[in-house]
Amino acid sequence: MVRPYKILVVDDEPDLEPLMLQRMRRHIRAGRYSFVFARNGLEALDRLNEDGDIDMVLSDINMPQMDGLTLLEQIPKVDPNIRSVIISAYGDMKNIRTAMNRGAFDFVTKPVDFKDLQITIERTLAHMMEWREALSYRDKLVSIQNELEVASRIQQSILPSEFPDDLRYQVYGNMEPARDVGGDFFDIMLLDEGQIGLAIADVSDKGVPAALFMMSCRTLLKGVAIGLTEPGAVLGEVNDLLHEDNETMLFVTVLYAVYNPSTGEFTYASGGHDPPLLIRSDGSVSLLPLTDGIALGVVPELNYKQHKITLSPGDTVVLYTDGVTEAQNTDGSAFEVDGLHQIFAGSSAYLKAREGTDLVFEKVREFMGEASQFDDITCLTLHRDT
Amino acid sequence: MDVTSQRTGGALIVSVEGRVDGANARKFQKAVESVIDDDDGAVILDMENLSYISSAGLRSILLIAKGLQKRTAQFAVCSLQDAIGEVFRIVGFDKIVTIHSSQGDAVAAMGS
Repeated sequence: MVRPYKILVVDDEPDLEPLMLQRMRRHIRAGRYSFVFARNGLEALDRLNEDGDIDMVLSDINMPQMDGLTLLEQIPKVDPNIRSVIISAYGDMKNIRTAMNRGAFDFVTKPVDFKDLQITIERTLAHMMEWREALSYRDKLVSIQNELEVASRIQQSILPSEFPDDLRYQVYGNMEPARDVGGDFFDIMLLDEGQIGLAIADVSDKGVPAALFMMSCRTLLKGVAIGLTEPGAVLGEVNDLLHEDNETMLFVTVLYAVYNPSTGEFTYASGGHDPPLLIRSDGSVSLLPLTDGIALGVVPELNYKQHKITLSPGDTVVLYTDGVTEAQNTDGSAFEVDGLHQIFAGSSAYLKAREGTDLVFEKVREFMGEASQFDDITCLTLHRDT
Repeated sequence: MDVTSQRTGGALIVSVEGRVDGANARKFQKAVESVIDDDDGAVILDMENLSYISSAGLRSILLIAKGLQKRTAQFAVCSLQDAIGEVFRIVGFDKIVTIHSSQGDAVAAMGS
């Protein structure tokens, strides 16, 4: 059962207590209000501290020991959610104004019209309930916000922060999340026979479901990649695993490649992902062909085609998500693949992997200027040294 | 983002205008689903005036298509701008969603 609203009445006039109880008897009997009484501000403060469940204070102004205006200043220190109504002499605008400035919600004048008082009480309680509701929404929002921040940090922490140290090649990646948790990740896996697996992926949509989908996608990819060396087969397997029970129709675009440092062979398969950029040692730039794969998680039992190229010493491959190419400036135009071409056209054969990734972030940020970032931005660069 | 609809030649044509991204993808999906009647046998999403679609928007289209597929209604998209067509091609959805070059073609192919 809902408890009655508890109202503290503060007045040095002893007659008010029986009168209030008598005039409000129907509301008391109905379980709407309950009343407690105090004879001055000090007594009222004691009651507030002792009871702890008083919703509203109805107080006279002129009282011995502590007057109503001083009491008003003290109430928020006990509980800022308590609402106060002042009883003042008719036309005493100076005190009424002071009371309102000190946080009184409303006032009634003497002699007290109980019908009017009851309306004022209801209005005050309604306001108080709205206030409490708003507070609880705010608290919930803050806690959701905190959880999202934690989720975002977890996501960041699963990305590789250490990169293989090998004289024959370099690889370096980075991801900058947009405001919400979501979408992108990259991974680097050490495979059998000294080969390395490189993955970059973008989950559709943002928020917690997308983040969970992304986590399971990354784990599945890692697990499958270690057992299989053909990128196309890896995507096929992960696709089937993701598709099971995927009522949400979330999907992920993945570019997965296996690089053989001994031979320079770079074999990749795309599951609906943007094609990688190839920068030859002479500074010429081209997009690698798409392999016509469908984004993962939507249709089961697909065969993912793969494509193989051989990197010569000095060649670089840049993997990226559409957060790069679709980054917008304040005019609303996008960075596009052309932006990437421009960064790397005429690059030196000694371009470092880290330098490549950092350049992408620097140029995209420069392009965006003051515009906000709507999507995660991810870039993973592979460079063959020898 | 704006969604309008009309019935022509036995098909429901839903036209979408503007941008569909992460911020309004759900609203877009609801708007489209709300104009589809249970007895619509063919639904065409006209994208002539769609200037941008994010992956969240593509997901909404998959959900709409899935809903129609469950009751064996036909679904197609038409009149994709070049950039949108490119997005469909990269993500591979040109292989799972029927695409027609114009509304007329779509109606001719699907209407009864």
